[in-house]
Amino acid sequence: MKGRLWARIIPALVVLTLLATACGAPAASPTTAPVTSEEVPAAAAPVVLRIGMSGSPDSRNPGNAWLTEAFDLMELVYDSLVYLDFAGNYHPELAESWTVSDDGLTWTFTIRDGVLFSDGTPLTAEDVAFTLLAYRDWGEFGYQSGYTLHFADVQATDPRTVVLTLDMPIGNLESQLLFCYILPQHIWEPYADDVSAAVAFENADMIGSGPFRLVEFRQGEYYRLAANKQHYLFPPVVDEVIFQTYSNQDALVQALRAGEVDLITEMPNTVFGALQGEANITAVHGAARSLRDYIFNVIAPEDCPVEEGGICSGHPALRDPVVRQAMAHAVDKQQIIDVALLGLGTPGIGLVPQALGDWFASELLAEDYDFDIAEANWMLDEAGYLDSNGDGIRECPADMDCGGRSLDIVMQIPSDIGSGAREAELLSAWWAQIGIKMTPQVLESDTVTANCCPAFDFDMLLWGWGPDPDPSFILSVLTSAEIPTGMSETGYNNPEYDRLFAEQTAELDHARRVEMVHEMQRMMLEDLPYIIPYYDEGVQAFRSDRFTGWPVPAEGSGDILYLQDPLSLTVVSPVQ
Amino acid sequence: MLRRDYLFKKTAWSLLTIAFVLVLNFFLFRILPGDPTTAIAKDPRLSAEARQGLARRFGLDRPLFLNLSGGNPLDSQFFIYFTRLFQGDLGTSFNFNRPVAELLGERLGNTVILILGGQVLAIVLGITLGLLAAWKNKTSFDTAAITFSLAAWSLPTFWLGIILLIIGSTYLGLPTAGRGTVGLMSASGWARAVDLGKHILLPTLTYTIVLLGEYMLIMRSSVLEILSEDYILTAKAKGLSHLQILRDHALQNAMLPIVTLIALNLGFTVSGAIQVETVFSWPGLGSMIFEAVRRQDYPVLQGAFLLVAVSVIVANLIADLVYGTLDPRVKAP
Repeated sequence: MKGRLWARIIPALVVLTLLATACGAPAASPTTAPVTSEEVPAAAAPVVLRIGMSGSPDSRNPGNAWLTEAFDLMELVYDSLVYLDFAGNYHPELAESWTVSDDGLTWTFTIRDGVLFSDGTPLTAEDVAFTLLAYRDWGEFGYQSGYTLHFADVQATDPRTVVLTLDMPIGNLESQLLFCYILPQHIWEPYADDVSAAVAFENADMIGSGPFRLVEFRQGEYYRLAANKQHYLFPPVVDEVIFQTYSNQDALVQALRAGEVDLITEMPNTVFGALQGEANITAVHGAARSLRDYIFNVIAPEDCPVEEGGICSGHPALRDPVVRQAMAHAVDKQQIIDVALLGLGTPGIGLVPQALGDWFASELLAEDYDFDIAEANWMLDEAGYLDSNGDGIRECPADMDCGGRSLDIVMQIPSDIGSGAREAELLSAWWAQIGIKMTPQVLESDTVTANCCPAFDFDMLLWGWGPDPDPSFILSVLTSAEIPTGMSETGYNNPEYDRLFAEQTAELDHARRVEMVHEMQRMMLEDLPYIIPYYDEGVQAFRSDRFTGWPVPAEGSGDILYLQDPLSLTVVSPVQ
Repeated sequence: MLRRDYLFKKTAWSLLTIAFVLVLNFFLFRILPGDPTTAIAKDPRLSAEARQGLARRFGLDRPLFLNLSGGNPLDSQFFIYFTRLFQGDLGTSFNFNRPVAELLGERLGNTVILILGGQVLAIVLGITLGLLAAWKNKTSFDTAAITFSLAAWSLPTFWLGIILLIIGSTYLGLPTAGRGTVGLMSASGWARAVDLGKHILLPTLTYTIVLLGEYMLIMRSSVLEILSEDYILTAKAKGLSHLQILRDHALQNAMLPIVTLIALNLGFTVSGAIQVETVFSWPGLGSMIFEAVRRQDYPVLQGAFLLVAVSVIVANLIADLVYGTLDPRVKAP
């Protein structure tokens, strides 16, 4: 009887398994060929560095990749004409040197001699010219097309010379070239006239000239890189690097503790303190290029982009700079950093974070709004925002178009911002003390995007930015030209700011451009379309008993922390 | 034996349900707030041209249901979805930039290895221990079994997983993630099998413990109920041994609720144990679903939902058929 019973259940299990497996072949074969024995000499065991991460690259094609994890991989397998050091300075990479014509329109690059792609083909000026023109012409090609907008022409005049002609002078050309990874013409040529095919190209082998070369790639699991020991600038000391994906951060931290990985580049801030005290583990923190912002809807009714779907429903009192400044006086930035980030952040001023080096207007730190509730109350009293009905909430003065309306606002928070609700609670409590009622509303992030811009259907938003190394893009967010495009989140319109923005774009003199960028940050701080509570810090940890030589930023230097950068991975060496 | 009209009726119902799920699945992801193109675009600084290119690539530039702008009225997202579906094309993942069908296929194998092991262990142990507990009713073994199964059933899966992960990796040197040690290419087949075993041990154990409690409890109460029936008393009166009573008279009847439960659980096998896979970074369907939710990867979710729905429906159909064999009353007209 027992036998008969199982005879009936087991076939059911088998049927289901077969059914399940029949829907697709199980994953057995890796997408890229495994390393063959000739690549890893059997004599000495290869030095393998293992890195744990919580994401995975979304694509190997630079035109189809959006995630940071993908660009980390690109940085390692591709070279650009220039590279950026941790302090934010540009240096020659594939371009050995360059000259600029007096009008700033013609740039002549000398390409390094003897550079090889990972398939053995020489990299010449032809490849460089092909790549830059392709990026310009492939309008749908991810981020790169945005960096080549003003390229009038690119010519390879001889195998080592590239002449780039611009249609206007560009002050930050190096920062744009940084992300223009040089591709091999012989691989990409078939897609030159068909951008859809170029975007759809899998680029499985990622033929490039960088310090590493891709040998195996399993999306969502891991990828392996072999060192390019012949690299002209950064020949790695290690033989191989493995990036492995951990879908849970507790496991990631445990993997470091157990020595399964040598480096982790993300972890909850709560773990950071604990790891600092552990034997054989060094936990470090440093500036990160990301920030939190509290966005005010300041769009003027006449600026409302109705055709683009503008609703412009923000509370009118928030268009009054005095109200915004009073609210800024009632924000204790340090407490937000301590509570939401456990201290791992630095107070913010404007949209240009500290990690951007000399672009950051550090002189403004001393001029920030102090945490002073009494001052805030006084400012609102003076401006005529009084609580006339005694409900504890101030109303607009009668002579304003919101006359009599309570200062009762809603702050929308995307649900994927972990600390968002906690920060909003703190803000709500402080602003209640100055007679402003703020209700936090956590929403799915797509909904926040839809309400944001160019709809301007909100009072306040809590959000963040991750600026480029160059400040131009992040500064453009506050220009009036971006109101209809949906890039402007505030609706801020200041002709003087717009003029400075245009000027700095074309300014070739670094010092003068820095001055302009600082002036723009001063305007942001005075007009306050945003309150920027903090700039994030990155936290990373590595096994000090495995590899040595990690370039770690000095405490308080403001230098960026980026240990999976080629600059780091090529210099570390195994502990003897 | 199974009657043909019973089989036919059940199968027809299953097909109808699948058709309904297909339609529901399409609309479910399109009534969500926000524009799917913002979900793909991921970055606000994307040029309008690039945005349109994305919309075109993913077919989002077409009308939802009927194309009324002249031309072919069936040139809409709805009909294209169905046409492609019947060709086995589930669309392209926003996040992985690869065909969804290919992704699901790749992950399914991993999920089945993990979940099936856990299920079989839990079923065998659960039925045996539940039966023993019922047989040894009101003894200390029974009390211990109830306590254990209640505790196991109520444990949060992710918590148990993390605790086992930390213990396993700290004291037993077991790996914390994935399906194998990366770079173990040159190793022999045996070494790789051992490696897979090490990687699969903790996730399987977690999954087994979580399921085991439920199976034990249901089995125990079901057997207890049967043992109080009159025909069992008759069997005792006939002088049959305990073993004979259990084996020949109680077991088959007591299996009915368990079969339902197993079928239900097996149906969800395909969705994987989302929590177990996520805790142990097991590259199965569950962790892919989790990732797809996080990244708003609607085509993957749509494909995964379809697969889960179909397997739940098929598992139920199989349960119905097994039921019919175990209990002839079910298939009576």
